[in-house]
Amino acid sequence: MKLSKSFIGLVTVSTIFMLYASGLYTNFQSDSALEIVDFSIAKPASEKNIPSNPDRVPLYGDLHVHTKYSFDAYIFGVTATPYDAYKYAIGEAIKHPLGFDMKLKEPLDFYAVTDHGFYMGMIENYADTSSKMSKNEWTKPMHNLNRPENVTVESLGARADLFSSVLTQAIIKPYPYWHPKVWKAWLTNNIQVALQSFDYDVHKSAWADVANAAEEFNDPGKFTTFIGYEFTTSTDVEGGNLHRNVIFNSSDAPIRPWTRIDSINPEDLWTWMDGLRDQGVDSLAMPHNSNGSNGQMFEVETFRGSAISKEYSEKRMRNEPVVEITQIKGTSDTHPLLSPDDEWADFEIMDKRVGSRPPTYSMPQGGYVRDAFLRGLTLEWKGQGNPYKFGVIGSSDTHTGAGGFDEDNYWSKAGVLDGTDMGRGSVPLTQDRIDQLDKYADVYDQPISIQEIGGQTYADVGFDQWGASGLAVAWAEENTRDSIFKAFKRKETFATTGTRMAVRFFAGFDLESIDLESEEMVKNAYAKGVTMGADLFGNNDQAPQFLVWAQRDKLGAPLQRVQIIKGWVENASGTPKEQVYDVACSDGLTVDPITNRCPDNGARVNINDCSISNDVGAVELKTTWDRSRV
Amino acid sequence: MNLRIIVFFIIGLVIFLLDIGLNSQEDSKDIYVSDQELTSLLSAWQSQVGRPPSDEEIVNIINNLVQEEILYREALLLGLDQEDRIIKRRLAQKITFLKQETIPTEPSESELQEFFETNKSNYFMPATYSFTHHYFSKESNAKERANLAFNALTENGIEPTGDPFFLGKNFYQNTAAEIDRNFGPSFLSALKAIDLNQWSGPHSSAFGEHLVYFKNTSAGFLPAWEKVKGAVTQDYLTQAQDDAIKNYLKEIKSEYRVIINPNYQF
Repeated sequence: MKLSKSFIGLVTVSTIFMLYASGLYTNFQSDSALEIVDFSIAKPASEKNIPSNPDRVPLYGDLHVHTKYSFDAYIFGVTATPYDAYKYAIGEAIKHPLGFDMKLKEPLDFYAVTDHGFYMGMIENYADTSSKMSKNEWTKPMHNLNRPENVTVESLGARADLFSSVLTQAIIKPYPYWHPKVWKAWLTNNIQVALQSFDYDVHKSAWADVANAAEEFNDPGKFTTFIGYEFTTSTDVEGGNLHRNVIFNSSDAPIRPWTRIDSINPEDLWTWMDGLRDQGVDSLAMPHNSNGSNGQMFEVETFRGSAISKEYSEKRMRNEPVVEITQIKGTSDTHPLLSPDDEWADFEIMDKRVGSRPPTYSMPQGGYVRDAFLRGLTLEWKGQGNPYKFGVIGSSDTHTGAGGFDEDNYWSKAGVLDGTDMGRGSVPLTQDRIDQLDKYADVYDQPISIQEIGGQTYADVGFDQWGASGLAVAWAEENTRDSIFKAFKRKETFATTGTRMAVRFFAGFDLESIDLESEEMVKNAYAKGVTMGADLFGNNDQAPQFLVWAQRDKLGAPLQRVQIIKGWVENASGTPKEQVYDVACSDGLTVDPITNRCPDNGARVNINDCSISNDVGAVELKTTWDRSRV
Repeated sequence: MNLRIIVFFIIGLVIFLLDIGLNSQEDSKDIYVSDQELTSLLSAWQSQVGRPPSDEEIVNIINNLVQEEILYREALLLGLDQEDRIIKRRLAQKITFLKQETIPTEPSESELQEFFETNKSNYFMPATYSFTHHYFSKESNAKERANLAFNALTENGIEPTGDPFFLGKNFYQNTAAEIDRNFGPSFLSALKAIDLNQWSGPHSSAFGEHLVYFKNTSAGFLPAWEKVKGAVTQDYLTQAQDDAIKNYLKEIKSEYRVIINPNYQF
């Protein structure tokens, strides 16, 4: 009895002590990731008025661009800087690691360099034999990695090996617990400082350079940049890709990016972003490659496996209003297993997990945008809020600094690895390249990476499922950081797989009264309806009407049809449903009321030279539509 | 006092002569570690680790330095510095920096002006055009409708009823590049003359036919010197650095002869 009493006493004392200590902890510990730095640079102010259009114009850009500061890009032989990347975006030619020029047919309106926050700048530092880090034995395979004479097609095997094994084995090793850096890490809540392979000064200066490049090239009225990075996280089992790009709406940005070393849980990223927002720095995170997430990106439960709550849904939507639906590594709209009644559900599918070697199947359920919209409706039906009511954008995810948007002006994105047609598996391999790949499989203990198709041998590295794509398009009043950022926040954005086509889309209850031939059409649509990405509020007995207006890419192919895909849940059971409707057809054709499809307009592609029928298709398509029309 | 100095001097001379006598065939084997070198090594260690090194660690630091120096000298003796690409590149880099540092950081006004004169085109503000238009979509016999509308407009002043254009009706101070982006590459260049304040057309774009009314054009112009001086200075310095190396190379290159095997199979 006495013993247990004193035991209780001891517990009380230690509890008090712990409370005291934790108070001390929060007072004593500073959170380095929440420190804000003004990266703005003094520039002569422009005197010209920035043109502004109340009807808004479509601005085209790429928000997913890697340069030499990304650990993988550097291994792929890339030496392009963030400055080079922005030069490319405004129309200048820059060099691919394999020596050829990369140049856009037409400059972009906005661009954001988003290097991996995780180990940003470190690999270049390992490769530099004059750095402190390069004295470590394990950096040896990376020494002088990207000296010109080392950036060759023949270095492909060694680079693939660095990417998939050497890095992961060597990189994450903390100092022993007594080391001053471990204490520093604890006191500043910056775990990476405690890692032997990490140099905080190198990391910070890489991040400052990324920010400085964005500031230097931001040119209000003409060209917009964002300070940004990629939060490259994943589930800890099965390698479910949960990558997100983060961009900031100001010259003020945190002193360092929040990375997967801080936490692999995306909810902690949002907490950090909320913390920055409280200090006046607004940002947004854009999930990407949900297709390669093995179904994890749009799960119906949280990262830790608990039920999604309304608070979770609100927090997610506050921080992630848009999702990247298409990029070089595949389009994440839908999958034939998810949309069996959609003939184009297999468009630019990449059904492998991101970065998996050998390429491993990625489960489609929970990995595609259309499915996510339905999951969001179901969650909302169950009273858990809707965490998936997001807008969409496209981007390239290039790792060469230069986005590849057109198949006829394309270099894929992994530098030396897929910079040649043979490396991508697009054309048969020559005998010497076959021998080379065999040798690598042997030397580096890698899976055989060739396959036989129709009696010929091709590289089998997963790049054959990649393709030129995509663009982020924002409906903005003017080409400024603030105007474009606001478009993302209100989700008035769309994605293309690289073409400069454009689409206006409105919803309302009185849109069919708008004269489609009137010059005031857009103004009226804004007045009578809501735009893409917005909420439309109405009574149960009111059927929504839609107004859609699409314009072709002036340099690309004409339009064939406009489709609206309706997704809903049944009121009684919450069962998700999907139906694809053609709503406008080219060449004077009308939608078949039984199949909901336009008749064939005869448009064909000549597989031999990729030319298209030039006598059919439309320069623009516009219509209003409601469900009763069909 | 004076005697002591003389004695020291004599001892020094004796040692020096002995040294010459004994080591006349070899390079010096002395490793002299300067105060500055020690200070910089120790402070580098401290900034890396966050505390001053202990005695034991100091010994290690010095041992490492000595070891490196010995290996370096032995490598030199063996001629390992010859034909090493990294060493060559590093030395080339060093002399590049050295030559670049010799340029003046504050160029004179006249130098800047001269640079500006020769690179005028880089600072030129392009011409802009402000116009409105009537659009006739390719979707329904654009050419015919546009021609009819043009005649009705110019002869009878009847306002045309065209189609709404995707990007709107009025374009304000667009450059030629912006017009190309909005209408297609051949739109502006196909216009033979731009007459202000009157309708012309139809002009073909990628989307159909247009009747165009130019309200205003501004010719391209060169901004005033004060407005571009900052940018010119920056460009001047960048160019001067490049030139410093180029000129140095040019001076010295003629003294070298390059020999490449003419039978080499590339």
